[in-house]
Amino acid sequence: MSTVTQSVPAAPEQVLHRQGFGDVLSAEWIKLRSVRSTWWTLAALVGLGAGLTVAVCWGNAEWLASAEADEPPGAFLTWGMMIAQVTAIVLGVLAVTSEYGTGMIRATFAAVPRRGRVFAAKALLVAVLLFVTGTLTALVGYLGGNYFLDREGIGLALEGDVLRAMYGSGLYMAGLGLFAVAVGTLLRHTAAAITITIAVCFVVSNMVMLIPGDVGLFLERVMPGNAGTVIATPETFNPNLLDAWPSFAIFAAEVAVLLAAAAVAVRRRDA
Amino acid sequence: MIRAQALTKTYGDKTAVDAIDFTVKPGRVTGFLGPNGAGKSTTMRMILGLDAPTAGSVTVNGHRHLASPAPLRSIGALIEAQGFHPGRSARDHLRWLAASNGIPTTRVGEVLELVGLENVAGQRAGRYSLGMGQRLGIAAALIGDPPVVVLDEPVNGLDPEGIRWVRSLARRLADEGRTVFISSHLMTEMALTADHLIVIGRGQILADCSTEDFIARHAASYVRVKSPARAEVGALLERAGLEVTVVDDALHVQGTEAAAIGDLIHAKGLGLHELTLVRSSLEDAFMTLTASHVEYTSKAREEVAA
Repeated sequence: MSTVTQSVPAAPEQVLHRQGFGDVLSAEWIKLRSVRSTWWTLAALVGLGAGLTVAVCWGNAEWLASAEADEPPGAFLTWGMMIAQVTAIVLGVLAVTSEYGTGMIRATFAAVPRRGRVFAAKALLVAVLLFVTGTLTALVGYLGGNYFLDREGIGLALEGDVLRAMYGSGLYMAGLGLFAVAVGTLLRHTAAAITITIAVCFVVSNMVMLIPGDVGLFLERVMPGNAGTVIATPETFNPNLLDAWPSFAIFAAEVAVLLAAAAVAVRRRDA
Repeated sequence: MIRAQALTKTYGDKTAVDAIDFTVKPGRVTGFLGPNGAGKSTTMRMILGLDAPTAGSVTVNGHRHLASPAPLRSIGALIEAQGFHPGRSARDHLRWLAASNGIPTTRVGEVLELVGLENVAGQRAGRYSLGMGQRLGIAAALIGDPPVVVLDEPVNGLDPEGIRWVRSLARRLADEGRTVFISSHLMTEMALTADHLIVIGRGQILADCSTEDFIARHAASYVRVKSPARAEVGALLERAGLEVTVVDDALHVQGTEAAAIGDLIHAKGLGLHELTLVRSSLEDAFMTLTASHVEYTSKAREEVAA
């Protein structure tokens, strides 16, 4: 009897490890923290959000304490966040579009064919990162800004609406980041996604105030750039808007619709 | 093993891949050859589940890639020349790939060493030359130690040393029993690298055979014979068991070498005006085969094909 030497494949398919959401999450986390843009945008968020708040409180404390003041001091305690929100948009957009711009998205989807998981992992990480950074930034801004308000005797304690505005800032940043992740996924282009998100959230949100009557008031209240901000300020500059939580519910619903549209698109389209 | 059945992709009214069937078997290097725009990359993207087929199907190890429980452990691919973020280091690029499929981080060092990037692995990948980028792409393809490896135009941008390296790597992977599928638009490169060829043109399979067969069939040499007594010479050579074709005023003879043909004719005392060995190059053969199937025919190419 002859012996038959058969060549056996050296690498038979081994299913030792089934890919799970945890794997995708850790991969996306490595991606996010291994590029400089993430750290630059977060540094800008902290710098602008806390720095500008402190600067504005320092500059306005005396006036706010005077009889001429026609703005509530609380509106100034998270003032910097209104500028810093641009960085949340950049972070959210870049988490997605940097992959489309470089063609890396194909490597990603070949490694994780269940694209919904990639999308969910990106969204989750951007939201958590921005919630934590946003809340901490608001706290630092409050501590610095309130020091100057305290000096004029108009300081506010970290409780009630002030406390809510702290994690509210985190929630608003997280919501904007998710908004940006969704728009980035739908448009797949960095400049287009950033421009459109900023235009919708800030330019259009302000322009609708020019529309007269109930329609104008309705639009003003529901535009994402308006509805989202209320929760992030102890007292709002704009008395037309709804209360913090109803406003945030509107904003959250808008973000949810965009995320759903993006989740459908990412699965249906050719990469 | 990769298996395509009636695989089709259309974009609007343009058919990029037209109901093709093929099987890529393990243990050998299969070249996927075709001019630019023939449907190679579209086919490869469908194998990886990146593009959805309009009709038909393609499976990797018996299942669609989209349903793979361990994607990088079943197929590794180089799809895009620069499929990485320019600001991320090679090591981090491979680390996220490994993490996404639960592959131990130790494998990152192994593949970096395998492709010779271990000393520059900490650099931002945007600083890499095209060749280093290709090596990173190949490292990424091998990270899961997959039984199926797909490389789309892997030698693009590589220097001769790099091309030789890809060739020997492909050989080694095939010898290890893996399925190796490499696309190229360079016939001569594929002739050196591949054991088996699948030739595609305008979305259709034009040839699916061993490289040896392909060369024998499409790039065979022949002897051109011109003689004042063409008919007699033709009959004589045919009687000798040779294959004779009349082309214009010459005979194209296959089956033996020029010297033997000259001797046969001389033995009969017939006149001989020309006796030339004509070797058609592989590149010519490929051009001829695909000439009617190229998407964008340039003037120069038409002349070569003619």
